[in-house]
Amino acid sequence: MTAVDQSERTAAEAAGTPVLQATGVTMRFGGLTAVNDVSMSVHEGEIVGLIGPNGAGKTTFFNCLTGLYKPTEGRVDLLGSQIPPKPRAVVVAGMARTFQNIRLFGNMTALENVMVGRYCRTGAMAFTSIIRGPKFRREEEQTRARAQELLDFVGLGKSAENLARNMPYGDQRRLEIARALATDPKLVLLDEPTAGMNPRETQQASDLIFKIRDSGMAVVVIEHDMRFIFNLCDRVLCLVRGEVLVEGTPDKVQSDPRVIEAYIGGAEDDEDEDGTAVDESDVSAASDESHESHEGATE
Amino acid sequence: MSTVTSPEATVPDDSGRRRVPLSPSAAWTVTLVGAVLLIASTFLSWSYTSDVLGDLSVSFYPNAVQIAMLVSGVLVVVALLTVRGPLRRVAEWFDTGAAVRALSIGAAIYVVIALVLIAYQSGGLVNVNPGGWLALVGSLAMAIGSWEVRTAPEGDLLRFVLPSWVEILVVVVLLAIVLFGAAYLLGIPDGETFSLMIVFAGALAFALAKSRGFEWLGHIASRNRRVFSLGAFVVAFLFPFTQNGSDANMSIATQVIIFAVTALGLNIVVGLAGLLDLGYIAFLGAGAYVAAMLSTSAFATVGWKPPFLVVMAVGACTSATLGLIIGSPTLRVSGDYLAIVTLAFGEIFRITMNNLDGENGPNLTNGPNGIPAIPELNFFGFDFGETHVVAGIPLGRFANYYFLLLIVAVIVITIFTRLNNSRIGRGWVAIREDEKAAEAMGVNVFGLKLFAFAGGAFLAGMAGTIKAHLDVSVSPDQYVFLESAFLLAAVVLGGMGTVAGVFVGAAILKLLPEKLRFVADYRLLLFGLLLVLMMRFRPEGLVASERRKLEFHADDEELAERIEEVHIVEEQEAKA
Repeated sequence: MTAVDQSERTAAEAAGTPVLQATGVTMRFGGLTAVNDVSMSVHEGEIVGLIGPNGAGKTTFFNCLTGLYKPTEGRVDLLGSQIPPKPRAVVVAGMARTFQNIRLFGNMTALENVMVGRYCRTGAMAFTSIIRGPKFRREEEQTRARAQELLDFVGLGKSAENLARNMPYGDQRRLEIARALATDPKLVLLDEPTAGMNPRETQQASDLIFKIRDSGMAVVVIEHDMRFIFNLCDRVLCLVRGEVLVEGTPDKVQSDPRVIEAYIGGAEDDEDEDGTAVDESDVSAASDESHESHEGATE
Repeated sequence: MSTVTSPEATVPDDSGRRRVPLSPSAAWTVTLVGAVLLIASTFLSWSYTSDVLGDLSVSFYPNAVQIAMLVSGVLVVVALLTVRGPLRRVAEWFDTGAAVRALSIGAAIYVVIALVLIAYQSGGLVNVNPGGWLALVGSLAMAIGSWEVRTAPEGDLLRFVLPSWVEILVVVVLLAIVLFGAAYLLGIPDGETFSLMIVFAGALAFALAKSRGFEWLGHIASRNRRVFSLGAFVVAFLFPFTQNGSDANMSIATQVIIFAVTALGLNIVVGLAGLLDLGYIAFLGAGAYVAAMLSTSAFATVGWKPPFLVVMAVGACTSATLGLIIGSPTLRVSGDYLAIVTLAFGEIFRITMNNLDGENGPNLTNGPNGIPAIPELNFFGFDFGETHVVAGIPLGRFANYYFLLLIVAVIVITIFTRLNNSRIGRGWVAIREDEKAAEAMGVNVFGLKLFAFAGGAFLAGMAGTIKAHLDVSVSPDQYVFLESAFLLAAVVLGGMGTVAGVFVGAAILKLLPEKLRFVADYRLLLFGLLLVLMMRFRPEGLVASERRKLEFHADDEELAERIEEVHIVEEQEAKA
């Protein structure tokens, strides 16, 4: 136990119950173990980074946390109570996410996209929607106001009426974050929020994540941009072949020889991990593709 | 109408190249001369014999066929004056050059068809009088000249706001034109004149669309939403009074409304939630069968005879239940698989109705014979079968049902629009767009899909209960797959996700085969062709929702340029 670990431990204890506590999460696809016994805790007001070479299982781990996959083993607790592996239940419990390959509702306006995020926090049913009583109107108005507020928060206040698919790439990433925030989460999971961004946009994304943290939410970020992640995070986990290789402060992880080896020396080994490697590279290919097609559309 | 649309739409809109060897000012003059000749020709005799297309043989007494051309000519002259002349400011907002082209080409097609009809029906081109030839020369001059009459409007139509009373007046006049136009069109006895009028109406509609007139009317309608919907209802309400007790057109009108209401239910499922349902007619059938079984017909199979409002509720709920039953297992599959399962469901419904005849199961439907002799509806002594005279105008059986259906339509439209503009509607569209993302954002995907199925079925079942009484009998062969396909065609043709579009689509699909008997034989061919052309030239449907318009025309150059600029600026900043 190093001194850094000790100080972390005490800081964690001081913060009380962790917002997120994943214990021994394991995900197997047939014979392939994509995520192996990963534990992670995130505390209030903390930004945690998740790094690792392609195919390390980062996105799979995210999918396990958010209920898109049902983990083979392990449990996920949010604010001290276990959450069932169903996407809806996860959102209602207070955990929202963005996707590596942007998955906005392309043919809805930016405002509508964010309003969809309010779905699980509003309750108007069919009958009330048809009758349109004062309660319905109030709720609808609040939904709209809150959505606009969130668009302003991420800096898209002026693009409210634009179709999501027609927005520039960086704006789409921010819109996805606004949509996630609309679910009133305690914890936001961001899957490569700066992929394909230029340095300026990356800087803006960084500022935005600090803003989210400052408004009282915890954040987990997957990212390949090391400068970005080491500037941003309070704590970094390095995942290699589905297992936690190193965990600690950015300084500690940055200087760890194993991390450097995993990224540079171990590049060939990644190819052997065919199942996960294909899974992850598929996703990143899809992301590249959507990026390109977007660029194509704007030309 | 497709004959009007295709030449227009295939020409790319670059005004740099000349298509005819005329300078813009010469082209303008040629078009103007052509229009004047066309106007003059309408006061001359077109035909030697008097029994073709009404009567075209009298000079200085234009009949309807000629008046349409008179209107075309005058409109072209007015539009030309906006291209170069005293009305120039209009061309800053509206693409009047495109309107001139649409009207001119429409007029040329119209005159050619008219002359061919005259020659064909009265035995040769000899019977075409000088007036007819003058009209041909005039309209062809217009068509040729108009190719180089170009305008480039620049103003943003959202900012083209007139005083609100003028806008309301525009809405009222427009709706009045629709009412009298529809009444006149339906009143035309012969198919030849009807086809000519369709060409004329098509040219007008195309001129409005190309000159951005529809876009402006759309802005007006959304600014004066209440006036517009109230006006539309009043027009629909007044329609029977224009028919002088004639049942023929009212019968078509009731068919259109039933079809439209059912298609609107389908629009929830297909247009909003994005679930392809190919067996939708079964839900209409379920409602109709319930109404028939519970009616006082001698062939009804159920002893319980509740009042009609109860029957309506039972029919709608039965349909909705069927929707739930078919939905809960099948909604786990999606896309093509869902289409196949629903297609099968439609057939299962028809075959079941065919077999519940007492031999293969309980006798509920009398099998292939169906349930005939369903009595007229009777609300508190108001007999729907009798003719009632209101303000001196007799309103027959179909008019009575028409009014009832109109009320149902209003209810259904209200339900549709209000659900669409609510949390639930947003959830549906989100599911259509990306089911996984919707789920990850906390949308109750399965519940909403099921509700779309049940809700759509509810509306169709409601329409079905009235249809049973209107058609007097119910039999399984009314609910074949082809009807489901037609419902889907109405939704696609009119515009997915819109109310007005569905009504336009339903009107076209029901009206054309009724009015054009020669179309009736080839209607599948023609509708297929129409859908193919639609997919090519206007995939968002005739009346597109804002959203779908953007969806299919996202390669908007202006927007793309703007985004590009922002990108370049950002990159430069980043480099610096």
